[in-house]
Amino acid sequence: VNKKIKIMKYLKYIVLSVFSMTVSSCGEDFLSPKPISSITADTFYSSEKELETAVINMYDGIQGINSTSNDDNHGVQEEYILTEMRTDNSGTRSGEGEPARLESYSVESTNSTVANYYSSFYNIIFRAHVVLENLGVADSQRDRFEGEAKFVRAYAYFNLVRLFGEVPMPTSVVLQDNEGVLFTRIGTSTIYDLIVDDLTTAVANLDNTYKTRASQAAAQALLAKVHLTLGEYNEALPLLEPVISSMEFDLEENFEDIYEISNERNEEIIFAIGYDGVNQTDSQLFSAEMTANGRTSGLNYLPQNMISALENIGGAERAAASYQEDPKPQYAGFFQTKKFIPNGNPEASDPTIGGNDWIVLRYADVLLMHVEAIMAGNPSTSDGGAIASFQKVRDRAGLTDLVTTITAQELLDERRVELAFENHRFFDLIRFGVAETVLGDWADDQGYNFSVTDLLLPIPQREINLSKGQLDQNPGY
Amino acid sequence: VIAQSTVSGKVTGEGEGLPGATIRVQGTLVGTVTDIDGNFSISVASDAILEISSVGFTTQVVPVNGQTRIDITLNIDVSQLEEVVVIGYGTQKKSHLTGAISKVTNKKLDQIALSRADEALIGQVAGVTVAQTGEDGVGSDPTLRVRGVGSITAGAGPLLVIDGVAVSSDFFGSVDMNDVESFEVLKDAASAAIFGSRGGNGVIMITTKQGVEGRTKFTYSTFTGFQDVKNNPDYNMSVAEHANREMAYNEAMGNTPLLSDRTRYKQLIGDQNWQDVIFDGGVITSHSLSVRGGSAKTKFSTSLSYLHDEGVLLTDDFKKYNLKAKIDHKVSDKFSFGITVNPSYTNRRRFDGSTHDILRQEAWLPVYLDANTIQYVDRVAYPDAQIGDYAVQTMFNNYDLNGDGGEVDISGTSNTNPAAKVLEKEYRDFKFKVFGKFYANYKINDDFSVSTSIGGDMQDTERTRWQGSEADRRGSSRSFSYFQNSKDVHTVMDGFVNYDRDFGNHSISATAGVARETFRNEYSDVTGSGFEFDYIETLNGATVISGADGYNREKTLLSFISRVNYAFSDKYLASVSLRRDGSSVFGDNKKYGMFPAVSIGWRVTEEDFFNSNIVNDLKIRVSYGVTGNDNINSDYGNILDWYAYSALLEAESAITEGAVSAAFNPINIANPDLQWERSFEFNPAIDFGLFEGRISGSVDYYKRTSEKLLLEIPVSGVTGFNEALVNIGEVVNKGIEIELRTNNMRTNNFSWTTTFLAANNNNELTNFADASGQILSVDSKRPGEWINLVGNPISSFYGFVVDKEIPLEYINDPFSTVGGKAQHVYVKDLNGDGLIDGDDRTILGSPYPKLTWSVTNEFRYKSFDMSFMFQGRHGVSVRNIADEYMYNFFESTSSQQFNPATTPDQGFLKRKVLTNSIIQDGSYVALRNINIGYTLSNAALEKVRLYNARVFVSGQNLLYIKSSDYSGFNPETIRDEGPLAYGYNRGGSPIARKITIGVSVDF
Repeated sequence: VNKKIKIMKYLKYIVLSVFSMTVSSCGEDFLSPKPISSITADTFYSSEKELETAVINMYDGIQGINSTSNDDNHGVQEEYILTEMRTDNSGTRSGEGEPARLESYSVESTNSTVANYYSSFYNIIFRAHVVLENLGVADSQRDRFEGEAKFVRAYAYFNLVRLFGEVPMPTSVVLQDNEGVLFTRIGTSTIYDLIVDDLTTAVANLDNTYKTRASQAAAQALLAKVHLTLGEYNEALPLLEPVISSMEFDLEENFEDIYEISNERNEEIIFAIGYDGVNQTDSQLFSAEMTANGRTSGLNYLPQNMISALENIGGAERAAASYQEDPKPQYAGFFQTKKFIPNGNPEASDPTIGGNDWIVLRYADVLLMHVEAIMAGNPSTSDGGAIASFQKVRDRAGLTDLVTTITAQELLDERRVELAFENHRFFDLIRFGVAETVLGDWADDQGYNFSVTDLLLPIPQREINLSKGQLDQNPGY
Repeated sequence: VIAQSTVSGKVTGEGEGLPGATIRVQGTLVGTVTDIDGNFSISVASDAILEISSVGFTTQVVPVNGQTRIDITLNIDVSQLEEVVVIGYGTQKKSHLTGAISKVTNKKLDQIALSRADEALIGQVAGVTVAQTGEDGVGSDPTLRVRGVGSITAGAGPLLVIDGVAVSSDFFGSVDMNDVESFEVLKDAASAAIFGSRGGNGVIMITTKQGVEGRTKFTYSTFTGFQDVKNNPDYNMSVAEHANREMAYNEAMGNTPLLSDRTRYKQLIGDQNWQDVIFDGGVITSHSLSVRGGSAKTKFSTSLSYLHDEGVLLTDDFKKYNLKAKIDHKVSDKFSFGITVNPSYTNRRRFDGSTHDILRQEAWLPVYLDANTIQYVDRVAYPDAQIGDYAVQTMFNNYDLNGDGGEVDISGTSNTNPAAKVLEKEYRDFKFKVFGKFYANYKINDDFSVSTSIGGDMQDTERTRWQGSEADRRGSSRSFSYFQNSKDVHTVMDGFVNYDRDFGNHSISATAGVARETFRNEYSDVTGSGFEFDYIETLNGATVISGADGYNREKTLLSFISRVNYAFSDKYLASVSLRRDGSSVFGDNKKYGMFPAVSIGWRVTEEDFFNSNIVNDLKIRVSYGVTGNDNINSDYGNILDWYAYSALLEAESAITEGAVSAAFNPINIANPDLQWERSFEFNPAIDFGLFEGRISGSVDYYKRTSEKLLLEIPVSGVTGFNEALVNIGEVVNKGIEIELRTNNMRTNNFSWTTTFLAANNNNELTNFADASGQILSVDSKRPGEWINLVGNPISSFYGFVVDKEIPLEYINDPFSTVGGKAQHVYVKDLNGDGLIDGDDRTILGSPYPKLTWSVTNEFRYKSFDMSFMFQGRHGVSVRNIADEYMYNFFESTSSQQFNPATTPDQGFLKRKVLTNSIIQDGSYVALRNINIGYTLSNAALEKVRLYNARVFVSGQNLLYIKSSDYSGFNPETIRDEGPLAYGYNRGGSPIARKITIGVSVDF
């Protein structure tokens, strides 16, 4: 009995000690576990090295997420659907699905590819603003980071303004309650003012160290394109000339080598979006989507019109490097884009890790912009500088016949076959003032219903709904 | 010396044997307890007096008088509500309850052939709704709601508490129904407030079976059920029927009465009923063995069970293994402790696809190529096609039907064979779970005691997913193997001081304590691709490891809990509780929330002035309480959900200059003011018993206001984000619940009882700040809309109203696909301004039922018993997206579209998905369960040396009447698209009909 009483006392203490342990572990730290697998932003961005992760993060934004869900920002990965596929350059293989709505000019404001591009590019702008707002911690690289962030912001706004027209224009991080900024469409000239300012800073602050990060040449070339778009030819020329005279860039000797996956960032590349073929998260969608292995069983496929252009105007070398017949036997007779398929083989083991970079600016584009700047909106030019640049591009393509004058049509055609599937055609047609006629004729030919309002994409319905009427839709939607 | 003799007999009440009735020799401590069938045996002096008692019955005194067999029939105590009910952190006499708590005792629930415990609650409690099946087949979580959707965060389900430990609701999928003693549902906030932070959506408590003092009882139960699916004629689009329609159309239009080439060609190939292919039926089997018993000091309960459900879909399958050991020991009168360990293992194969995606394939397409169909294969495109290969639509293109060199194209899609899409994938969840608890209780004196418990639960989930080369038209380029591991560990430590005292007319029961909980989750996944062959489906068969991810996260909860229950003369009742919870998911100044509750009751029939022969029991009770919710369910998920208040950066990488560079990406719009969501509920009610217990029941009215809802609202993409977590808005749920039980007839051989339950719920969004009027859609390709507008139910369906169909003559190729219908429809100009725009949209319905009810009848005749339950719901709509898939096929630029050149009034056309064409009535009436049993007589039992034996046959859903307006398979299946866009009826398992036979024996 004595023993039992002892045990009872002992047990009593166990109960009481567990009880007090429970109470004593109630410090404030207990309720504030640190995030284990993420960082809290409050204390981050305290050094230049940390800020550089925000700079890199901008490019991650442009690269976008490699997934088939349109809830994930795809960055630049689906831009060709909104540009190339709205021209006579390409379309879907099957006529099925949402992307087919773009080729047939029957886009609805609920189109998820359009919405994805819109939110992706504002996300890129947000990432640039994170850099700009934390520049204070930078030291020796302050100017570079500022230049890169402003280049990225300008690049994003330039695409948005060309695709959607007037759009909201935040110039710093904005939160969801700032409806005045989020739902007010800003006039295009104001947006272009910001773009020009940003790129001017970028030209001043950057050098040519990088090809998949912003560089001075990239800023010069992009700014030149902005001025061409605005018809400011005199402003464009002095930006292009230093790129040409810098001798830092040149055409690849063989056209097909530009796209060779083992030859990325070659001397012709001025600015490209980097991807790699090792890890799914660092690769892209388009290498698969441009083949029958994609969701819509083939995007950016060539209509006969484009095949003829490449064969007749482009010359054998460029034609061979630009497209090929779908190698799947059941899709014989369909022709696909070749430039972004790894080694031209769509049956590579896993196309979701294709890894090809996306080329934004390359030297041939600069040479042809040089011609355009000199032509300055006239129907033709015989200027020696223009001829030299034009001839250089054609010579490389194996078309060595001597050029004496260049008409606007010839320049447009040359751009079409040289820069095929690189998201230039749609903007070129607008810049050359022929979009309405060329696309109108093309639509008639295909039985599509085209009108001039189709040149602007709809503001995503999601944004219109969220704005509860504050945002006006583009006409025609 | 007085002779000792053995007396045996049977105690019955309400016509059935009473298990657990106490037989005590008056004036001594000698006694025994009846077994499951009411039988007892006791050795007593021949002149002893036996006292027989059982909860809910009046105690009887019987002198032995030398008899050896004594059968006793106990009468129901008019105050039969004297049942003990488990409340949070304690128990209470049912007569003293002041909150809305419903108890469901597991009488025959374990004889329903179900693979999950929560499905057994269908129709059992007024105000509890269980939407029966999930989307990917057997074993998936049903949607469980208590009193509608209050807290509207995605986790709007009730808290699950098993034997006093709050566990993840995922445990509903692994609890062994055979081991469940009872469910207690805490419906009103005053009852749930003791669980404070997590009681906001109600609480469901499960009490598992305990050991009973006496004979060691072995029980073996088993059943086998056969299940199938009724064909849905709305979606059975045969080639033959299609041909008839086309012919009728040609005749009506005065066209040549000839079928098109395509249709004639389809007739040649075949006519496959795809519903028969994917609804392949299945068997469900269960075996359960338990051993329970114990002495006055030690009681134990152990069980082992196995369940295998093959589901009704093509690949779904669910296996569950349960083990349980529970020991309670009294060291002394003062000190007791116990331990429970409950491991389970489940292996679930999903139906990895969507039923509507498969059924939208055309009926002419066979599953496999056979001797007939292979002759139509396009040999140029498919030179290697053989008999036995999966058939795909494009194989049948370019066929020279008329022998004139012309080619008929037939394919409407380049997709692979729909059966291959499912059969060539394997998607499994392996879950190992343990739930356990140690507790100790020490009585300091008669009034005070202290108790503590340490416990928790652990889940180890392994998910494997394989896609073979034939599952996708893109072949082995899309083959992958995926492996995911997620481990959740939840620990709870608590300590309480309890005070219980009855003096004079006062009865006080008070408790106060502290609880400390931690949650830890560890996650990782790996994806392998580059499979050239299908032989090895695991990661080592991959040539490329193409993706990997992993993270850990932690969350903590600290609670201070107190409650006082008081009764005066058993007449005036009151309960007051207060809980203060701190949660780590909120910011520094917002961590703590206070959750008070008060309830009072008045038992009118206990008053001297009350004297009625009709009303035997009448209680009026009123409760008011506050509960909270810290459950965040963001779209980004995982890490964000547990650290939502802070601005988080996640590790990313970008490729620059050919190399991988580190980046950190902001993933959320930080909200340091994020705080507890709170619900306030007012619940007046009456409980009554009439005609000596012949009729009893309760009527509850409730009004619950949930405010500062923790919601992820969509925000403009211009911010750089698409969502933001905020506390916003207010939702009011109110309604009436009625529970009515009647003893219609009772004789020695026959009894008939009826239970009627009905619940009405009205949901209204009363405040949504700037977000009021927000319009949402969940699928950008099929963008049907929802609106959250103040003054209307939350997540109301929104869209245009159908005016009329487009006449077929304006449709390009109206008979190009079997069963195809026009994608567009004329809609009404609601505001009469002559054009169709956004202003012509209106609210089209609510996804939450206005009324749910059930009627259960139970009959007993001698050894036979029968029960059946009808159950239904009304006043509910669903967005049946299956229609969009079934009739509209693939969004194509030509076929089945209206002709833009000839169609009049094109400005009045809208896609059907944007209209009320697919907003359909989700009401139903079902014969949920029917159960017929036979319990063997004592004489027969003696022969086979068993204590008790029962055989039964049961059926589920033998009758299921859905609204004629609804064309899908199962109006109950709702895809979880978040609380603001609820009611998306997409894919989903159909309603399974089951016939089950089973046996249960005690030995």
